[in-house]
Amino acid sequence: MTRGKLLAGGAAAALFMVVIFVIAGGPGAKAQAKKEVPLETGGDASVRPWKRYAGWPARDESKWSTLGHQSSPPPPNAPRKLAGPITGDAANGARLVADRDRGGSCLACHVMGPAGGVNLPGNVGPDLSEIGTAGREDEYLFNYIFDPRVYNPETVMPPWGGHGLFNDLEINDMVAFLKTLKSPAPFKTELDNPEKRPAPVETRENLDPIENPGMWAVDKAQELWKQSGAAGKSCQSCHANAGAEFKSWAASMPKWEPRLDKVLGVEEFVTRHAKATTGADWLMETDENRAMSIYLHYLANGTAIHVDTESAASKAAIERGKALANRKVGELNFACTDCHGKVANRWIRGQWLGEPKGQIDHFPTWRTSLLAIWDIRQRFQWCQVNIRADELPPDAKEYGDLELYLAALNEGQKLSVPGIRH
Amino acid sequence: MAERPRLKLPKEAKKGEVIEIKTLLPHVMETGQRKDKDGNTIPRKIINKFACEFNGKPVFAVDLEPAVAANPYIQFHAKVEESGTFKFSWTDDDGTVTTAEESISVS
Repeated sequence: MTRGKLLAGGAAAALFMVVIFVIAGGPGAKAQAKKEVPLETGGDASVRPWKRYAGWPARDESKWSTLGHQSSPPPPNAPRKLAGPITGDAANGARLVADRDRGGSCLACHVMGPAGGVNLPGNVGPDLSEIGTAGREDEYLFNYIFDPRVYNPETVMPPWGGHGLFNDLEINDMVAFLKTLKSPAPFKTELDNPEKRPAPVETRENLDPIENPGMWAVDKAQELWKQSGAAGKSCQSCHANAGAEFKSWAASMPKWEPRLDKVLGVEEFVTRHAKATTGADWLMETDENRAMSIYLHYLANGTAIHVDTESAASKAAIERGKALANRKVGELNFACTDCHGKVANRWIRGQWLGEPKGQIDHFPTWRTSLLAIWDIRQRFQWCQVNIRADELPPDAKEYGDLELYLAALNEGQKLSVPGIRH
Repeated sequence: MAERPRLKLPKEAKKGEVIEIKTLLPHVMETGQRKDKDGNTIPRKIINKFACEFNGKPVFAVDLEPAVAANPYIQFHAKVEESGTFKFSWTDDDGTVTTAEESISVS
């Protein structure tokens, strides 16, 4: 109830501001408008041609839909008919359901009796440990693995056969294995049971430089701040009092930029503004750009995220972002809203699928498993590569729309940057 | 850019108090056991010694070995009887010594 009241209060305040703006916006108002922020509007803000990060899977997934284009085949209209009962190799099926090289293994989402040694299965989909007693027909089981969209258009399950991850014989073997499953999974520990596994809680002090090496970027950025670029000026030349000037700016980003006809996040803004002012060449996903983004977010720490959701251009961008969040992409055919909407707050193998709220306030974040800083665009890119879709360059306009949509869903969340995550 | 050491200890303490000192030096701690993609051994480069002294007297010292992870984080305790300055030093295999100091006022 409290949240509802707060939201209503916020909306009323926003409306009030619009009214004042309209009253004040008489003749001559345009002439008094604030001078436009200098931005380099030519060229790209990241490396072209875009090259995937070192150490990331080199798979070519160009056949499948991305956030930039739609090319995946449509779902089938009807289930495939089988010639006769399935005679598969259940032992091979047991191996295949636990095979992590083909998009994550069935165990990522399902508990399946003894399969895979019952090692941290997920609970995105139903527990299949007793599917062998459910009286399902072979054709149903086969088609559910081949392309479950014939039975459930809303499913989040990938079309394993339809997208060619497993062939018919392999699916037969998996069906044969499923029919052997007749008793509950023998969990070795309570943590192996996804229904009992506690949700992860991040308790590390992300703003302590001893705990979080991401904090070192704050120092680095303060040095960069004073460094003269090719134009002989530094950030310091115009922004001598960064702490006061930027104490809330990052919380209002990303923002629609009419000169570029796209939404700019802090990172692309830094690239284009530095180029146009100091002459510094800080392309997105360089160490300098990441450090500057961390610093600018850091200065706004504690400020509630509040992006423009009122202007016509922002509204349109948010609508596009919402559509992109619902678009099925990649060989595994996932939409953002599958994992972080329909099945949020569940386990995909040992990883927790979070809700959209809380997914942006700590970015850029330090990744302890990678000893690296990731900004939100790199996080978007990894989501895609991980579900076997080609990523877009970090400055792609689609990511701008998506980031604005995500930020709007995070309205009111307070920035705490750099975050610290696994 | 050389990374600077990180220190965390109280600025003030009571006489005789046991304080906690946290130190961390950003460093690759290359073990000398790894090979690059051409099969050549990546030479060992680690911090091999860390030492802390207070007003010129040794407080704590440790020899580090290649198994210690990157960015060595060392935490220890010291009993303080008087105001003064902790001096910390990290010795690299290449002979470089990184130093830092922090004062504490004891009442």
